[in-house]
Amino acid sequence: MSDSTRVADREVLITRIFDAPRERVFEAWTDPGAVVDWFGPGHMTTERVHIDLRVGGRYELTMVRTDGSEFPVGYDIVELDPPALLVLRSDPMPEHGMTEPTVVRVELHDHGDKTRMTLVDGPMPGAEHAAAGWDAAFDKLAARLAG
Amino acid sequence: MHADELDRTFAALADPTRRSILTRLAEGEATVGELAAPFSISRPAITRHLKVLEGAGLIARSRDAQWRPSRLQVDPLDEAVEWMQSRKRTWEARMDRLDAHLHRRGEQDE
Repeated sequence: MSDSTRVADREVLITRIFDAPRERVFEAWTDPGAVVDWFGPGHMTTERVHIDLRVGGRYELTMVRTDGSEFPVGYDIVELDPPALLVLRSDPMPEHGMTEPTVVRVELHDHGDKTRMTLVDGPMPGAEHAAAGWDAAFDKLAARLAG
Repeated sequence: MHADELDRTFAALADPTRRSILTRLAEGEATVGELAAPFSISRPAITRHLKVLEGAGLIARSRDAQWRPSRLQVDPLDEAVEWMQSRKRTWEARMDRLDAHLHRRGEQDE
């Protein structure tokens, strides 16, 4: 798959198999003590994780760089169905190129005794103006530019 | 890349006629008349679309030639692609760490 195709998708899509039951993967997403362990990049620590686990609740955390500067991240919980579904809507962050919210949709499916997770994050900024989906013409353009 | 520029790029791309125009221009430069030919819309309508694309920096139009041919400018597209890739890398790195976290927890339980 070419890199350009991902723009045509309007969204980031990731599928992963985790060697753990759904309950444990869901807990890793929703237990603050677990979230601090993986959410932030390696050069940042994650602190002050606050999760009000209900539809309409908040999902907030602060990433702290080694120089002490902070990068707060916040979401509204818009859908919740433990241990299968968590949907978060990000607060806009115009200083980081995010003038509109994006929606992070995490689905957990049984995969034998493992868990298959799909994560969709999107849409891209400006895409809310789209009257229709991205059509074949743009896919073709993206493929041509990639080639 | 500045947020305003990303917004303009994606807003310009969020229209099927404009994406078709870009696809045509990927084959080489073209005049308004040539670009209008496949569509059942007027030349002024095509010109309006070209202005949006030009404002987003996705095309450049010759100032000199009588028919002002348009040509594709790929830099904003590259920057849009890079923005998406950085976002994808962030999530992939997070999922690597989530995987490691689950392994550590699993070992503790055994």
